[in-house]
Amino acid sequence: MFEKDIYQLIRGLRSHKGNERAYILQSLAECRREIKTSDMDAKATALLKLVYLEMFGHDMSWASFNVLEVMSSAKYVQKRVGYLAAVQSFRPETEVLMLAENLLKKDLGSSDKGTIGLVLGTLPHVVDPNMAGSMLGDLLSRLSHSSPAIRKKTVVTLYRLALVYPETLRPAWPKIKDRLLDENEDPSVTAAIVNVVCELGWRRPQDFLSLAPRLFELLTAGGNNWMAIKIIKLFSTLTPLEPRLVKKLLPPLTSIIKTTPAMSLLYECINGIIQGGIMEAAEGTTEGDEIARLCVNKLRAMLVVEGDPNLRYVALLAFAKITASHADIVAQHQDVILECIDDGDISIRTRALDLVVGMINASNLQIVVERLLKQLKTAGKASAVSDPSNDRAAHDGIEPMADDDDEEMQQTIKPKAQKPAQAPPLPNDYRASVIERILEMCSHETYANMTDFEWYIGVLIELVKQCPAASTTGSFGRHSGSLAKETTSIADAVGNELLNVAVRVKAVRPDAAAAAQSLLLIESREALFPASSNGGQGVLSAAAFVAGEYAGMLPNPEAVLTSLLDPSSAQLPAHALASYIQTIPKIVVALTSDQSSPWSSTRQSNTVLLLARVVHFLEPLTLHPNLDVQERAVEYLDLMRLASEAAANQQTSDSPGEYAEPPLLLTQAIPSLFTGMELNPVALVALRKVPQPEELDLETPINGNLHMLLQQAEYDTDFDDSAGEMYRFYHEKPVAVAIDHARPAADLLEPPGTSRTSSYQDAETEPLDRETSDKRKAERRARYQDDPYYIDSERASGSSTPMHNILRQTNGEELDVDAIPVMELQLDSKDTVTDVGRPATQRAPSTKKPKRHFEITRDESLGDDELPTIGASPAKASIPRGKKSLLEVDSSGLSTLSLVDDVARTGASQLEVERRHAEEEEMAKAIKEVERLRLEMQRAQERIQPHDMPEEGTVVRRKKKKPRIEALGGELSAPPDGAGDGEVTVKKRKKKKTPDNGNGETSLAEKAADAEDGSAIASKPKKKKKRQVTFDEGGEPE
Amino acid sequence: MINAVLVFNNNGQPRLTKFYTQLDTSVQQRLLSEIFTLVSARPASSCNFLPLPPLLAPNSTNTTTTTTTKPTTPEHNDAPSLVTYRHYATLYFILISTSTESPLALLDLIQVFVEALDRLFENVCELDLIFNFEVLHAVLGEMIVGGVVVETGLEKIVEGVRGQGRVAKRPVNERSGPGLGQGIWIGR
Repeated sequence: MFEKDIYQLIRGLRSHKGNERAYILQSLAECRREIKTSDMDAKATALLKLVYLEMFGHDMSWASFNVLEVMSSAKYVQKRVGYLAAVQSFRPETEVLMLAENLLKKDLGSSDKGTIGLVLGTLPHVVDPNMAGSMLGDLLSRLSHSSPAIRKKTVVTLYRLALVYPETLRPAWPKIKDRLLDENEDPSVTAAIVNVVCELGWRRPQDFLSLAPRLFELLTAGGNNWMAIKIIKLFSTLTPLEPRLVKKLLPPLTSIIKTTPAMSLLYECINGIIQGGIMEAAEGTTEGDEIARLCVNKLRAMLVVEGDPNLRYVALLAFAKITASHADIVAQHQDVILECIDDGDISIRTRALDLVVGMINASNLQIVVERLLKQLKTAGKASAVSDPSNDRAAHDGIEPMADDDDEEMQQTIKPKAQKPAQAPPLPNDYRASVIERILEMCSHETYANMTDFEWYIGVLIELVKQCPAASTTGSFGRHSGSLAKETTSIADAVGNELLNVAVRVKAVRPDAAAAAQSLLLIESREALFPASSNGGQGVLSAAAFVAGEYAGMLPNPEAVLTSLLDPSSAQLPAHALASYIQTIPKIVVALTSDQSSPWSSTRQSNTVLLLARVVHFLEPLTLHPNLDVQERAVEYLDLMRLASEAAANQQTSDSPGEYAEPPLLLTQAIPSLFTGMELNPVALVALRKVPQPEELDLETPINGNLHMLLQQAEYDTDFDDSAGEMYRFYHEKPVAVAIDHARPAADLLEPPGTSRTSSYQDAETEPLDRETSDKRKAERRARYQDDPYYIDSERASGSSTPMHNILRQTNGEELDVDAIPVMELQLDSKDTVTDVGRPATQRAPSTKKPKRHFEITRDESLGDDELPTIGASPAKASIPRGKKSLLEVDSSGLSTLSLVDDVARTGASQLEVERRHAEEEEMAKAIKEVERLRLEMQRAQERIQPHDMPEEGTVVRRKKKKPRIEALGGELSAPPDGAGDGEVTVKKRKKKKTPDNGNGETSLAEKAADAEDGSAIASKPKKKKKRQVTFDEGGEPE
Repeated sequence: MINAVLVFNNNGQPRLTKFYTQLDTSVQQRLLSEIFTLVSARPASSCNFLPLPPLLAPNSTNTTTTTTTKPTTPEHNDAPSLVTYRHYATLYFILISTSTESPLALLDLIQVFVEALDRLFENVCELDLIFNFEVLHAVLGEMIVGGVVVETGLEKIVEGVRGQGRVAKRPVNERSGPGLGQGIWIGR
């Protein structure tokens, strides 16, 4: 024997330091060879080695048939290896499972407890619905096995069967229930049943109400903490269905809380009271108040207790569950909860973070956010290297290393790694989640808890500095992103918030613009966005947008423009750059469009210089690889050249008294591109609510001749000439062509006589009360009368817009735009909520500064505020369920199966099981009958021809066959009394003739010794020889 | 229910892997290394509960949408949501479970597991478990079947394992030393 046993393999692994991989590959090859031998011991050993190596990630699915062979071994030790291998290596796609079924059934019926235990332990891992159906009958009978160990495992196995084959429960549940109700049942079986019932319970609690008295009895009897915990958990799902339980449960739960030494039980009592809604249900009664106080005090004690972080963790979990119903109670313990936010342990921190999000209100928002900010500021930023997620690759494949230090393995207590003295750098994902939570808390319910927006803008700026280095993806604010991006970094979310505040809260727009400026200034870039981390850069695009949109409010537009035009800006990510390009002309407009001051030569040269700088910046960008950037650059480049030309050609006047017009292009045409429409937040669902006009026909082709036209076009472009044109179009630099239109195109949109200035003016002072706001609204309405994009509730949509006029002139009267129905927006009632209209409770007075009113613009929408539109969209609806979690065992099948005694249905299915049983029994009977008949015939034959043939002729031939079959099955010597199949019966019968009752080997020896017996002499040596032959055959390798 | 039981040492070398759902070997290994990465970074003073490793975390896109204020839907009970671990001497014991298990009780369960091993091996240490990983499986099989706990009583577990055959000490020629056993009582 040269095979390695498992010890040798492990020792070999430990000694082959440095080249474990080679050693493993060699061992695997050996295993492959050994497992094919017919020597069962070698096979089992090889399998055990494979199982060991499988633990280190070496696939052994190829050996599934060998697993089956070893499972069928008669030796328990080998069988155990086979079953272990099945558990560890069988996968859903393993094909030999079908073959295993009979073996499992046979072993389940074994008289050996260990063998049954193996089957019960293995079934949950390998069972599929088909197998579950056929194993069910055999399993049910094990429920009444004499050994409690078998009974409890059977109960659990039946539960796993039910998960894949819910019908299991129909016949099984009544039996399990009887076991549970049986007071003489072994306590450990009862405990196992309670475990199973607890697993079943949350799916269909109503089915288990009838068990409540027995469970209550078990709970009060005490003794097994694990079971008590499970019962409490089960009760917490039952109490919402049966309010009377609350009263019954209160005394025992209170007494457990007061007396139990087991912290886990104490905690689960509190948890059960919270989850079961017992606190609410018992509210008002003295016991109820007592228990609520008791629970909360215990939880608080858990938070402050020294030295047990686990209690802190679970207490936070419990608190988090109360927040939904009793946010006020939780907020009372704000002090201790906030302590946990700074806990050294990231698990506790994360829990605390979850918790504070739930307990936030107007009065504690600032305290909490500032605390979190402080945490972000004080902890160092994790560099990309120290981020464990980046380190993961290093742990990809686990090799069973040669253990370098045996001392260590035998060592009792390893000195624990010292806790670093200074605050450890926060992991990036935690950092991102803190920022996300801050944004979530602040913007909750459209800033319901926000009292101080200036403070909030300050927070946002601070958050930009704290953005984690690697751009971690978060989903906050993704939908409001201005540009389609694949991933949204946390900085983008901060940027979106800045934008959101600027748009929604007019009063702080100047602050928002100032904030945007501080983000954009090139001087501060090094401080805000250090070269080492590009984390905060995502905010730039939003900041640029704010700066452009509210350019008039920028404290220092020149500086911003200079920063935007800095050559380094061209290196920014495309989406930020695109936003920059959009911003630049807006700021240029703010700087140059002044109409009141005369067009002096200083102003002219300044303007021309400014425009030249812009042109200089934009020119290289017309070749930018990003199409969005390229397009915008090309567009604005031409516009700026045009403006530059206009400015250069405009007549100047330097004498003080004289007034020279600034060029119209600068003062009116270009500004009108960017002004006019007030930006308002629009609800996500609003667009979908615009009804489709009835006249709109999307089916009829506009031009029936389209096909022809396309063919024509194809034919035309076949010429080289046009290809050259294409080349020129795409590859040659655009030449600045002075457009010789008499009027700029934008002027067409401009109704004569109306000179509009920017729309920001109405934001300069905030509306103080409803009256002024109404007045403003009327003014606004008048101003926007001709604005096609401005939807007003009090009039039909724009009827005489210049756009409309143009359309009408060119299209004639066939198309009546007015006829397209547009639903009215009710600005007054819903969309603009002023403080006056708000309930006073939402507006808790800020402690810091005198109360300031902020008008927060709500999302604009049409019609009723129906929310389901979002949920109804297919993409969103699928998210909550998502993909199945990795280790998840789906129990949803159980939810449709009622366990309540539905007589008709259970009756029917019981019948079915019984029928199956009956069929099986019948089949077994038939087989026995056939066997009996065959034997009878055989005997008859022997009786008829006792003299002509050698006495044992037929029998010996059988014998010869038999051991071979058994050898295939992995056994050399037949078991003394096998499971009553034909051959063994034959053998038994034969044994009666030669009166010795040992097994094959020993009886042979005895027989050889008896050889002097004269009458037997003729047949016995012969028999012996035959036997010898059969054994040799059996032992031959195949 | 319990979804998986893992034991590995301070270097991340697995000593026992038991998954109560059928899982690809490569995925098992990934999960193992993710959890090791998480667990090995934790200082001794931390609590015994891990955040979910990336493989088990719910789809990252809806982490923010499922805030704690939302009532947990029944479906959540099927997905593993809790990773509990204990560190004894050179070994980490990990339990991955759903929310139907009690976190503190799981810690006790690990304790029972280790105590049972200690009883069987007399002063158990990592070497015992390396060489007798079958016994390790047997002990676990007495405690947890198909992810459901069937026994928490120390005596019954030890009895059940002994009933299956003699439990060998590690091979004699391996050096022996102080066991994991004493560590248990100091273990958190």
